[in-house]
Amino acid sequence: MTTAAQHAYDSYEALVEGYFEKGWTDGLPIMPPTPEKVAEFLAAAGLSREEVLGTVPTREVTCTAEQAAANAVMAGCRPEYFPVVVAAVRAHLHPKGNCHSTTGTLSGAAQAVIINGPIRNELGVVSGAGCFGPGFRANATIGRALRLVIRNVCRGIPGFLDRASYSTPARYSFCFGENEEASDWAPLHVQRGLSAEQSAVTVHSLMKMVEATDFASRTAEGVCDSLVRDIRANGVAGDSWLGEDGNVVIVIGHEHQRFFLEEGWSKADIQQHLWPRLNAPATSATDRMARIGKPEGILIVAAGGAGMGASWLLLPHLALAITEPVL
Amino acid sequence: MTTLIGLDPTSGPFDRTDDHDFSPRPASLDGAVVGLVANGLGEGEIFLDALYDELNKLSDLQAPLKVVKSSVSIPPDPGDWSRLTEEATVAITGFGG
Repeated sequence: MTTAAQHAYDSYEALVEGYFEKGWTDGLPIMPPTPEKVAEFLAAAGLSREEVLGTVPTREVTCTAEQAAANAVMAGCRPEYFPVVVAAVRAHLHPKGNCHSTTGTLSGAAQAVIINGPIRNELGVVSGAGCFGPGFRANATIGRALRLVIRNVCRGIPGFLDRASYSTPARYSFCFGENEEASDWAPLHVQRGLSAEQSAVTVHSLMKMVEATDFASRTAEGVCDSLVRDIRANGVAGDSWLGEDGNVVIVIGHEHQRFFLEEGWSKADIQQHLWPRLNAPATSATDRMARIGKPEGILIVAAGGAGMGASWLLLPHLALAITEPVL
Repeated sequence: MTTLIGLDPTSGPFDRTDDHDFSPRPASLDGAVVGLVANGLGEGEIFLDALYDELNKLSDLQAPLKVVKSSVSIPPDPGDWSRLTEEATVAITGFGG
């Protein structure tokens, strides 16, 4: 038996309009979170409706599996996506995921959801061409589900507890997979201690995303020089509360990745090469120290399509990137 | 007529606060303890100190009760909240960086 309040409507259109009026959407139409559909989602994840996925103490919020399921249904997820949504919600609501700050900030930080492991291919999570954009149901709806949880459960409502000056389109949805098949690089979740057979979700707070274009370099070191330049020009948020575990995510594009592969560089090699250069003292206002506590804090993810000499920098807000297994 | 049931996706009802009243303002700050809550970003602490100095020219203030957040990432510590609510007459904070 559901614990959530129920609302009756005469039609799908009436329900959608009713949810708009209640302020329960992101501005786009939703799918109806009927009791039957929510129960189907909970069953897909093997969760009871009362299971607590996390809390936001400053907001006196507790997020239950039923609430997350209702929002995942609304987002347009399929039931089999729900275990991934659960992992994303757990990651975001980890204390060091810092929901309160990253969803309330004036800066309009977003959440990047990165999916690893076998479930990417099972669900059709796209990691290649166009993976940051529209057109892919799993990417679009899993990312949207987390954002609806942030809005409806965590109360991250614009003008209320969401105080963003501009916000960002990445707050509608931002989810992609790592292209693990492109190389023998250790996938992100494996670098973070999970097995390759385990599926996982990493949620990274996203203060700013910057395209690091470099059409000229033809070597691994050359690409790294460009990455260092662009990260140091933009800066990396850090704070004593985060300690030495801060992160920056670098999404290595296909055309850049091949230079690393040709020279036999692993992810660990890139991390070791970048770390001292990012932490070097500032030389000017546009060449600042990007303090990352340790090389492993530089999270390397392979994704994107061919043809563009670019990688992407996902620069953090005040949170750690949290990786949770998909159970 | 078909009835479609939808579940409430929220964590419960809450006030949108858009229409909340402000707390009562004192008629005078003479003798007041002004709390200053600095978020640790930018020049916020310098600004609040300067603001206190200006207020002190207009009223006979007691020493300020100053709170500087221990981290820009999180709210003030519970002990600081207690000091503010128990010892300050009014408090001023800022946001942003």
